[in-house]
Amino acid sequence: MVELLAQTGLNAIYAAAYMSLVAVGLVLVFGVLGVINFAHGELFMIGAYVVVAVFADFQMPYVLAAAAALVFVGAVGVLMERAMFAPLRENPLGGLVASIGFLLICQALVSVQFGVRMEHVPPVTQEVIVISEKVRLPVHRLTVILASIALLSSLWIFLRKSKFGWALRASSQDREAASLQGISISRISIIAMFIGGALAGIAGALTAPLISVNPHMGHSVIVAAFIVIIVGGVGSLEGAVVASIAYAFVHTVITTFWDGVIADIVGLALMLAVLIVKPTGLFGTADRA
Amino acid sequence: MRSFPGRAGVWLGFLALLLLLPHALSYSQQEILVFLTINILLVVSYRLLTLTGEWSLGHAVIMGVGAYASALYTKELGIFVPASMILGACTAALVALVLSYPLFRMKGFYFLIGSFAAGEIIRLLWKRFREPFGGPKGLKRIDPMPDFDIAVWRFDFFEPVSYYYFAAAVVGFSLWLMRRIERSPVGLTFHAVHWQDKLAEASGVNVRAYRTLAFVIASGFAGLSGALLAHYIGAVNPNMFDLELMVFILTWTIIGGTATIYGPVIGCIALTIINEIVLREIGLEQMRPFVYGLLLIVSVLFLPKGLESLVQKGLARVARAKRGEES
Amino acid sequence: MSEKFLEVSGLGMRFGGITAIDNLGFSVEYGEIRGVIGPNGAGKTTTFNVISGFYKPTAGSVRLRGETISGLRMYEVARRGIVRTFQHSTLFTEMTVMENVLVGTHMRYRPNIFSSIVGRDAEDRRRARTRATESLEFFGLLERASDRAADLPHGHQRALGLAIALAAQPEVMLLDEPFAGMNPEETKSMMSLMFKLRDSGVTILIVEHDMRAIMGICDYITVMNFGRLLAEGRPEEIRTDPAVVEAYLGSARDVA
Repeated sequence: MVELLAQTGLNAIYAAAYMSLVAVGLVLVFGVLGVINFAHGELFMIGAYVVVAVFADFQMPYVLAAAAALVFVGAVGVLMERAMFAPLRENPLGGLVASIGFLLICQALVSVQFGVRMEHVPPVTQEVIVISEKVRLPVHRLTVILASIALLSSLWIFLRKSKFGWALRASSQDREAASLQGISISRISIIAMFIGGALAGIAGALTAPLISVNPHMGHSVIVAAFIVIIVGGVGSLEGAVVASIAYAFVHTVITTFWDGVIADIVGLALMLAVLIVKPTGLFGTADRA
Repeated sequence: MRSFPGRAGVWLGFLALLLLLPHALSYSQQEILVFLTINILLVVSYRLLTLTGEWSLGHAVIMGVGAYASALYTKELGIFVPASMILGACTAALVALVLSYPLFRMKGFYFLIGSFAAGEIIRLLWKRFREPFGGPKGLKRIDPMPDFDIAVWRFDFFEPVSYYYFAAAVVGFSLWLMRRIERSPVGLTFHAVHWQDKLAEASGVNVRAYRTLAFVIASGFAGLSGALLAHYIGAVNPNMFDLELMVFILTWTIIGGTATIYGPVIGCIALTIINEIVLREIGLEQMRPFVYGLLLIVSVLFLPKGLESLVQKGLARVARAKRGEES
Repeated sequence: MSEKFLEVSGLGMRFGGITAIDNLGFSVEYGEIRGVIGPNGAGKTTTFNVISGFYKPTAGSVRLRGETISGLRMYEVARRGIVRTFQHSTLFTEMTVMENVLVGTHMRYRPNIFSSIVGRDAEDRRRARTRATESLEFFGLLERASDRAADLPHGHQRALGLAIALAAQPEVMLLDEPFAGMNPEETKSMMSLMFKLRDSGVTILIVEHDMRAIMGICDYITVMNFGRLLAEGRPEEIRTDPAVVEAYLGSARDVA
């Protein structure tokens, strides 16, 4: 029993690691741009497919593939911001709808290029750290956990220490006030979308060898990310990390001891409960949104 | 003098067109026509929901509630099919009423996400519980509409043409009802709640009750469309009512526009034609999400008021031309 | 003790640590025009928001003919006869002038969805329209009935706000800065409209920042400062009240 709990705990830490990367990016984008990016799960999916292309198909080193995913998906994020979110700056519902359109485009393009079937990414390493007979931690999972900690800490330092970080935080608190202080909203939005995209992309790249890669894999990721950002208190990066960890534990425990679908239902019910208790919106009664 | 052919004439011509339309189509096109008819009810009901200013992401699942409920009533309780459809619609409305208590504490994005979560929970319950929902495979061999005869006409509802007539009658009547609601003082109040909920409330309008009312009515009609679908296909499963369908509803509605009742109808018809005729002809069916996504983005960016705004402009031009002739 | 028409007693409103209204009490007679004035931030608009049900007070009560109405929702307060207008031109901008005012008749002719569908509400609809027409006529807006509210000039938009409120046939109208942004001519015609309203049996409460505009029309004035009652009296008494003069001069100094 103790061993099963320990193994479940390790699984949860791994899930929390990549969920945090996804959720932090989503929160950052929502804070700065005021848009819920429904295509965020697809950015994760593209990250995984970059690994399929670069690592599995072209046989390049895995580290290179992961780096490529980071840069490429970040660039996709910037493309989204320039093409859709910038022209729709005053229309957050429009931004959301456009992101749904983008989601469909991503799925279609990936399906056409790679096919709708599941892709198998060969394992990067077969090594497993054996803690006891029933408690094992594959090295790749450990890599995901460590990479996630490293990335999130450097993001944290970037946001606290750099001028851009200060501007990012300022504009996620009050966009109008920030622009009055001479912060370029357009520039900050580009940076936020790059970071948000890059984090989702690297999360997809890191997990690609461990999960089934298919064009519709973004769906479950975005649902989990919504749960996490609502429970964590929208707009709070630290909250998103804490909620990721909490949600990963709850979800993993329920999945292990009961049933995966029930775990999903519990997660969604948790989010609904939070929304019921604290339904106040950041945007108040803004027209239509 | 009223101009020829007059209003009644236009409607009669339109009706004749609707009656003759399936006979000009191939069998598979007739099937598409049935789905299109059902989808029209779905999008128009979605527009009714958006009248009070809240956009839901649970509408596809609410449609499914109607489908599952009607199917189960016939399977488990042996209820006569048309009656079970109405009961299915009522069930969808009832589920919406229950959901409205938590959901209308939220607004804007939070309502959007909340309605999505509520819908997903329902969908996952279908998936999880084999009894009575059939699990991931859903329900099969759902009773079809029983055949019946009117004078010399025999209606066999396995035939798409027959089912089309039946569905078109139901949808037509539903659309008429929704139009009547919108044009009544109730509809005026829906619009008032949308544009200025505080001023509406200061005028004595129970804003939340009206939001709930719009949500419940819209859900009832969505449930009816689901029931129509279930008894035509004969099977339902949880994946039929997933986010993909919800995205299609949003696409049809946004591309068509929501200011008029015909806006979403235009959107639905236009996209069905593009999808089923153009894409199928050139063999690019798997590009459907791509085309939908691109149209959605283009429409939000360049035609934010939807296709209906083009129609409105056209009508205004015709009206001006007419006035020009008279003077 | 005779029952007051509209009575505010011991009213308190705190937002977190900030006290917006502190132990406020005053009462209004039926049929009067009452001004509530005070320097910026005195708590006038908050008082209105509490009376109209927009906020729930943290202490005290508001009573209409002895019935406690504080803590009720805004539409429930409206249904008891107290209808408010908003600062700026808060209107149903995308709807026509007539439709705007028809919303105002909502309480009197509460629509019912079933009779709407079967067409049994023709009589109610006709009466609502008559009522709306009267209200538009009262404010001289009838010839613009089919215009979009957003297309009206500013002065007409303010009048439309009042017309929506009047269509509800209220006993009490709460007017939130009705003179803001008006030129002298518009102010003058707005003032005569208020006399007309009062003569038709509506009790009026006006929140106004500008003291001069209000002196000419109010029967009685309540002055607030820092969320408390500062003075009460007839306009001529208020004009010369040293505490009021001090408060206004003080705030003027602060602003300057």
